[in-house]
Amino acid sequence: MRMGAVDVMDTTDTVDAGYTGGAGTDLRRSPLAPGRFGALAQGLLPFVLALLAGAVVLAATGKDPLQIYSIVFRQAFLGTTNLADTLLFSTPLVFTGLAALVAFRAGVFNVGVEGSLYLGAFAAAWAGFTLTGLPGAALVPLCFLLAVLAGGLWAWVPALLKAHLQVDEVVTTFMLNYVAILFTSLLVNGPFLAPGTANSMSPQVAPQAQIPTFMPGSQFNWSFVLAVLLAVGVWWLLQSTVPGFAIRMVGDNARFAAASGISVKRVVVYSMLISGALGGLAGASHVLGVTGRFIDNFSPGYGFQGIAVALLAAGRPILVVPAAIFFGALTNGGGLVQLFSNVPIDLINVLQGTVMLFATARFALRFRLRRAGRRVGRGPEAVPEAAVEKGAHAEVQADAGAGAGAGAGAGAGAGAGAGRDGAAGEA
Amino acid sequence: MDVQVLQVLLSKTLEMSAPILLAAMAGALCRQAGIVNIGLEGLMLAGAFGAVVFGHLGGPAAGLGGAVLCALLSGVVFALFVVGMDADQIVAGLGLNLLVVGLAGYLLPVLFNVQGVFSPPGLQPLPRWHLPLVESLPVAGGLLSGYDPVVYLSWASVPACWFFLYRTVLGAHMRAAGEAEEAARAAGINAAGVKWLALLAGAVLCALAGAQLSLSQVTLFNKQMTAGRGFIALAAFYFGNARPMPTAIASLLFGFFEALQFRLQAERGVPSQMVQMLPYLAVVLALVLVAVRERRRRIRVASPG
Repeated sequence: MRMGAVDVMDTTDTVDAGYTGGAGTDLRRSPLAPGRFGALAQGLLPFVLALLAGAVVLAATGKDPLQIYSIVFRQAFLGTTNLADTLLFSTPLVFTGLAALVAFRAGVFNVGVEGSLYLGAFAAAWAGFTLTGLPGAALVPLCFLLAVLAGGLWAWVPALLKAHLQVDEVVTTFMLNYVAILFTSLLVNGPFLAPGTANSMSPQVAPQAQIPTFMPGSQFNWSFVLAVLLAVGVWWLLQSTVPGFAIRMVGDNARFAAASGISVKRVVVYSMLISGALGGLAGASHVLGVTGRFIDNFSPGYGFQGIAVALLAAGRPILVVPAAIFFGALTNGGGLVQLFSNVPIDLINVLQGTVMLFATARFALRFRLRRAGRRVGRGPEAVPEAAVEKGAHAEVQADAGAGAGAGAGAGAGAGAGAGRDGAAGEA
Repeated sequence: MDVQVLQVLLSKTLEMSAPILLAAMAGALCRQAGIVNIGLEGLMLAGAFGAVVFGHLGGPAAGLGGAVLCALLSGVVFALFVVGMDADQIVAGLGLNLLVVGLAGYLLPVLFNVQGVFSPPGLQPLPRWHLPLVESLPVAGGLLSGYDPVVYLSWASVPACWFFLYRTVLGAHMRAAGEAEEAARAAGINAAGVKWLALLAGAVLCALAGAQLSLSQVTLFNKQMTAGRGFIALAAFYFGNARPMPTAIASLLFGFFEALQFRLQAERGVPSQMVQMLPYLAVVLALVLVAVRERRRRIRVASPG
């Protein structure tokens, strides 16, 4: 469907106003658009600052941050089993990180990955304990396929509402998370409760539906490989395909994309579908690879953590893998620290929240370097941005590419005075 | 449904809509100043946390003070990022929510050695005010009296916000900064200043909302207790286009569904999960209805005659 002139007006007339509130909210600029995220190094700044914030919290409550961090590091990375466990913990985060990333790159804030994850997990579990007659080679792909469908369809509803009625997706996807969690809970407490158990869980999936592990002593399994392949797949999608290009165009500047003949509505819908499908896969991989059944309320917020992962990865699909491993390592090491040093694992949420706060913050130092960078030249990605000026706002963020590396290098110093200087810089 | 049941349902509605109403007013203020405050949820949770921690040390009044303190601290962090460092409002808001959940979950075991639910012995709930004259009224008496002070404050916040936004100079500046920041700045308005003001005032309103949750609806804290109310409040001010009166009506509507959900949970035969979905589905439905209305309006505007 090609968009007519009326449609263009409909979806994009208030793009620059960002969030319009009220009834209709229109497309915003993606927080992961290359203007803000030019280089690998830009993800490092929030990374360092998050670790610093964690250290401050630890020190303030009388713990030795260096000691805690070194225990976490040793538990997470030293030794084959430890490393395998770290990768195991990071597997769902790779999926959900990619899910958040695809939607964010299109300027759509899908905070409903958690809901897709629950439905995908249930769909995979259902196929796994129902179609037990099938051989593994057919059953496993079928489980994943159903999870993709369930997760995607779940995201489809808010996607349609967003695309056609401009219903704000942040609120709808968040609300639907609760509905998904309650709905799956209803299923495993009622018709699909495992016989003979008091706990709210489904029956065990057939043995041939379980994803093989790599070694004894860890549940680390092949779904991590699938996750990494998907990261490459998403990179390829965004970088080398027409739909991917459209996603980036819409995320960078929806009005420009619409003017170039891209159907913004369609992009909104399919970016959400892909995002939901990836969320569904996260759930399926957890059921088939780790728990072997659907357990009520099983996710500790993988869907939300994916947002932090996508931001830490600076919007780059390949970097989602190391970003997820970072949080996976914290989860793995954090479990041990919680056990022996009374440091609650909730500290990870503090780090993730900090990453998200800093991810799109603009620092004084970056601002100055960006100006210098403009003369040197900018990457090809900044072109659509430059083609359509969006006023002062766009000018400030027009290209971060050149300045980002140095900006992150001196990161910690920039953080301190950033609030004041940032405001002064813009005035 | 007899009168008795209806009366209980309505008074529960008024009680349960109070936190939504306060957070929605906070959101409306911020929205008028040009900021969509996704952090309402986190600010509320910070308030609920502060209320229990300080209320446990020094009684309900200290609890309210603690709620305001914790929510204000969170509000300052949020404002630093959103206004000071021009961070993306949605990403920073989601980040704030995660940060507050994380801090609350971290501090409970470290400070009080409890996991999950923090319900210190001797924690006093907020007092209930029985209004002497109002109470003796035939039907309205039961409906309008006997709530904690925060419920009354939530009602007062609606005309207060209206008066501030539409009848004071500062309120006009705030709306101007939200409507057209560049123009407002050119006219000499301190845009960053009014944004800070809106965010901090919003934090105080959310503090009250959180305190009402953790010191009146229940007397305990757990890190999931806001249960999406911050996002329901977002929906409420979208519904009301960030104007105080319609926003308040939407908040009451969402509060009604929450009260209804509690009422229906008592019924036998209906799975509780199905009933618990009600408030969330109501929010989605309300947003859809508003969007349809808005779309019709746009079409009318686009094609006169």
